[in-house]
Amino acid sequence: MKNNVRTSRLNLSMTQEQLAVRVGVTRQTIGLIEKGEYNPSLQLCISIAKVLNKTLNDLFWEV
Amino acid sequence: MKSWITFLIPNDEYKEKRILYLLAEGGILLFLSLIVMVIWNQYFLMNTNTALLILVTIFLFYVTARYTLSGIEYTDVATESSYKKELKHIRTKTISFVLIFIVLFLFISGVPANKTEWVEIGGLLISVGFLWYLTSFISLKRSYKKNKELL
Repeated sequence: MKNNVRTSRLNLSMTQEQLAVRVGVTRQTIGLIEKGEYNPSLQLCISIAKVLNKTLNDLFWEV
Repeated sequence: MKSWITFLIPNDEYKEKRILYLLAEGGILLFLSLIVMVIWNQYFLMNTNTALLILVTIFLFYVTARYTLSGIEYTDVATESSYKKELKHIRTKTISFVLIFIVLFLFISGVPANKTEWVEIGGLLISVGFLWYLTSFISLKRSYKKNKELL
Protein backbone atom coordinates (compact mmCIF):
# COMPACT_ATOMS: atom_id res chain seq x y z
CA MET A 1 0.00 0.00 0.00
CA LYS A 2 1.47 3.34 -1.08
CA ASN A 3 1.49 6.04 1.58
CA ASN A 4 2.91 9.39 2.69
CA VAL A 5 4.68 8.17 5.81
CA ARG A 6 8.20 8.79 4.51
CA THR A 7 7.45 12.33 3.30
CA SER A 8 5.66 13.25 6.52
CA ARG A 9 8.49 11.81 8.62
CA LEU A 10 11.16 13.66 6.68
CA ASN A 11 9.17 16.90 7.00
CA LEU A 12 9.52 16.54 10.76
CA SER A 13 13.26 15.69 10.38
CA MET A 14 12.65 12.41 12.11
CA THR A 15 14.66 9.23 11.45
CA GLN A 16 13.08 5.81 10.89
CA GLU A 17 14.63 4.72 14.17
CA GLN A 18 13.03 7.61 16.09
CA LEU A 19 9.60 6.96 14.60
CA ALA A 20 9.98 3.23 15.29
CA VAL A 21 10.77 3.87 18.96
CA ARG A 22 7.84 6.29 19.31
CA VAL A 23 5.30 3.83 17.90
CA GLY A 24 6.81 0.71 19.46
CA VAL A 25 7.93 -1.28 16.41
CA THR A 26 11.29 -2.01 14.80
CA ARG A 27 13.06 0.22 12.30
CA GLN A 28 12.65 -2.51 9.70
CA THR A 29 8.86 -2.40 10.05
CA ILE A 30 8.83 1.37 9.46
CA GLY A 31 11.03 0.87 6.38
CA LEU A 32 8.68 -1.79 5.02
CA ILE A 33 5.62 0.41 5.60
CA GLU A 34 7.27 3.35 3.84
CA LYS A 35 8.16 1.16 0.87
CA GLY A 36 4.60 -0.14 0.75
CA GLU A 37 5.77 -3.69 1.36
CA TYR A 38 3.84 -4.18 4.57
CA ASN A 39 0.29 -3.09 5.41
CA PRO A 40 0.22 -2.06 9.07
CA SER A 41 -2.67 -2.75 11.42
CA LEU A 42 -5.17 0.03 12.04
CA GLN A 43 -3.74 0.44 15.54
CA LEU A 44 -0.25 1.02 14.14
CA CYS A 45 -1.58 3.39 11.44
CA ILE A 46 -3.20 5.50 14.17
CA SER A 47 0.00 5.51 16.27
CA ILE A 48 2.06 6.65 13.27
CA ALA A 49 -0.50 9.32 12.37
CA LYS A 50 -0.47 10.66 15.94
CA VAL A 51 3.33 10.84 16.09
CA LEU A 52 3.54 12.54 12.69
CA ASN A 53 0.65 14.92 13.52
CA LYS A 54 -1.32 13.79 10.49
CA THR A 55 -4.70 12.19 9.89
CA LEU A 56 -5.10 8.69 8.48
CA ASN A 57 -6.38 10.29 5.28
CA ASP A 58 -3.21 12.38 4.94
CA LEU A 59 -1.00 9.34 5.31
CA PHE A 60 -2.82 6.44 3.77
CA TRP A 61 -5.82 7.46 1.68
CA GLU A 62 -5.31 6.67 -2.03
CA VAL A 63 -1.82 8.05 -2.44
CA MET B 1 -5.11 -11.41 20.58
CA LYS B 2 -4.23 -13.81 23.37
CA SER B 3 -2.81 -17.27 22.81
CA TRP B 4 -0.71 -19.70 24.80
CA ILE B 5 2.16 -19.16 22.34
CA THR B 6 2.20 -15.39 22.96
CA PHE B 7 5.42 -15.72 24.96
CA LEU B 8 7.16 -17.05 21.81
CA ILE B 9 6.02 -14.19 19.60
CA PRO B 10 7.85 -10.84 19.38
CA ASN B 11 6.09 -7.53 20.07
CA ASP B 12 6.79 -6.02 16.67
CA GLU B 13 3.72 -6.67 14.50
CA TYR B 14 5.55 -7.36 11.21
CA LYS B 15 7.92 -9.82 12.85
CA GLU B 16 5.00 -11.38 14.72
CA LYS B 17 3.09 -11.92 11.49
CA ARG B 18 6.12 -13.43 9.70
CA ILE B 19 6.87 -15.82 12.55
CA LEU B 20 3.24 -16.93 12.76
CA TYR B 21 3.30 -17.65 9.03
CA LEU B 22 6.53 -19.65 9.39
CA LEU B 23 5.10 -21.71 12.24
CA ALA B 24 1.86 -22.30 10.30
CA GLU B 25 3.78 -23.36 7.17
CA GLY B 26 5.93 -25.66 9.32
CA GLY B 27 2.77 -27.13 10.88
CA ILE B 28 1.17 -27.82 7.48
CA LEU B 29 4.42 -29.34 6.19
CA LEU B 30 4.52 -31.53 9.28
CA PHE B 31 0.92 -32.64 8.69
CA LEU B 32 1.65 -33.49 5.04
CA SER B 33 4.79 -35.40 6.11
CA LEU B 34 2.67 -37.39 8.57
CA ILE B 35 0.27 -38.37 5.80
CA VAL B 36 3.19 -39.41 3.56
CA MET B 37 4.63 -41.42 6.41
CA VAL B 38 1.31 -43.18 7.12
CA ILE B 39 1.12 -44.22 3.44
CA TRP B 40 4.83 -45.18 3.43
CA ASN B 41 4.26 -47.32 6.51
CA GLN B 42 1.70 -49.43 4.62
CA TYR B 43 4.42 -50.68 2.26
CA PHE B 44 7.70 -50.34 4.15
CA LEU B 45 8.38 -50.87 7.81
CA MET B 46 9.89 -47.91 9.57
CA ASN B 47 11.32 -47.66 13.04
CA THR B 48 9.13 -45.40 15.22
CA ASN B 49 12.09 -43.47 16.62
CA THR B 50 13.44 -42.80 13.12
CA ALA B 51 10.02 -41.65 11.90
CA LEU B 52 9.58 -39.28 14.84
CA LEU B 53 13.10 -37.92 14.42
CA ILE B 54 12.48 -37.24 10.71
CA LEU B 55 9.23 -35.40 11.48
CA VAL B 56 10.78 -33.25 14.20
CA THR B 57 13.74 -32.48 11.92
CA ILE B 58 11.45 -31.46 9.03
CA PHE B 59 9.59 -28.97 11.23
CA LEU B 60 12.67 -27.55 12.97
CA PHE B 61 14.76 -27.36 9.81
CA TYR B 62 12.00 -25.66 7.80
CA VAL B 63 11.15 -23.05 10.42
CA THR B 64 14.80 -22.31 11.30
CA ALA B 65 15.95 -22.12 7.68
CA ARG B 66 13.10 -19.83 6.65
CA TYR B 67 13.63 -17.62 9.71
CA THR B 68 17.37 -17.38 9.03
CA LEU B 69 16.87 -16.51 5.36
CA SER B 70 14.00 -14.08 5.93
CA GLY B 71 16.29 -11.36 7.32
CA ILE B 72 13.98 -10.47 10.19
CA GLU B 73 16.29 -11.36 13.08
CA TYR B 74 18.51 -8.27 13.20
CA THR B 75 15.94 -5.57 12.53
CA ASP B 76 18.10 -2.59 13.45
CA VAL B 77 21.31 -3.47 11.61
CA ALA B 78 21.39 -1.09 8.65
CA THR B 79 24.84 0.53 8.74
CA GLU B 80 28.29 -0.97 8.26
CA SER B 81 29.37 -0.07 11.79
CA SER B 82 26.33 -1.75 13.36
CA TYR B 83 26.89 -4.76 11.08
CA LYS B 84 30.50 -5.13 12.23
CA LYS B 85 29.47 -4.64 15.85
CA GLU B 86 26.83 -7.35 15.56
CA LEU B 87 29.28 -9.69 13.82
CA LYS B 88 31.66 -9.27 16.73
CA HIS B 89 28.78 -9.96 19.12
CA ILE B 90 27.96 -13.18 17.22
CA ARG B 91 31.59 -14.33 17.51
CA THR B 92 31.55 -13.67 21.25
CA LYS B 93 28.24 -15.52 21.64
CA THR B 94 29.55 -18.53 19.70
CA ILE B 95 32.76 -18.73 21.76
CA SER B 96 30.78 -18.36 25.00
CA PHE B 97 28.41 -21.12 23.91
CA VAL B 98 31.31 -23.49 23.12
CA LEU B 99 33.02 -22.75 26.44
CA ILE B 100 29.82 -23.22 28.47
CA PHE B 101 29.13 -26.45 26.57
CA ILE B 102 32.63 -27.80 27.38
CA VAL B 103 32.30 -26.91 31.07
CA LEU B 104 28.82 -28.45 31.35
CA PHE B 105 29.89 -31.55 29.45
CA LEU B 106 32.92 -32.09 31.66
CA PHE B 107 30.80 -31.47 34.76
CA ILE B 108 27.99 -33.86 33.75
CA SER B 109 29.81 -36.58 31.81
CA GLY B 110 33.25 -36.30 33.37
CA VAL B 111 36.61 -35.94 31.65
CA PRO B 112 36.89 -38.08 28.47
CA ALA B 113 38.86 -41.24 29.23
CA ASN B 114 40.74 -41.61 25.96
CA LYS B 115 41.77 -39.91 22.75
CA THR B 116 38.73 -41.18 20.81
CA GLU B 117 36.32 -39.62 23.32
CA TRP B 118 38.22 -36.32 23.13
CA VAL B 119 37.97 -36.41 19.33
CA GLU B 120 34.23 -37.17 19.53
CA ILE B 121 33.46 -34.28 21.89
CA GLY B 122 35.79 -31.98 19.93
CA GLY B 123 34.09 -32.89 16.66
CA LEU B 124 30.65 -32.33 18.14
CA LEU B 125 31.66 -28.96 19.56
CA ILE B 126 33.26 -27.78 16.33
CA SER B 127 30.21 -28.88 14.29
CA VAL B 128 27.65 -27.27 16.61
CA GLY B 129 29.74 -24.10 17.04
CA PHE B 130 30.26 -23.80 13.30
CA LEU B 131 26.55 -24.35 12.57
CA TRP B 132 25.58 -21.81 15.23
CA TYR B 133 27.99 -19.23 13.79
CA LEU B 134 27.00 -19.95 10.19
CA THR B 135 23.24 -19.56 10.77
CA SER B 136 23.77 -16.37 12.78
CA PHE B 137 26.11 -15.01 10.09
CA ILE B 138 23.66 -15.77 7.25
CA SER B 139 20.79 -14.28 9.23
CA LEU B 140 22.81 -11.13 9.94
CA LYS B 141 23.91 -10.80 6.32
CA ARG B 142 20.31 -11.16 5.07
CA SER B 143 18.99 -8.72 7.68
CA TYR B 144 21.68 -6.16 6.83
CA LYS B 145 20.93 -6.41 3.10
CA LYS B 146 17.17 -6.10 3.68
CA ASN B 147 17.54 -3.18 6.10
CA LYS B 148 19.88 -1.29 3.77
CA GLU B 149 17.29 -1.51 1.00
CA LEU B 150 14.66 -0.06 3.33
CA LEU B 151 16.63 3.05 4.34
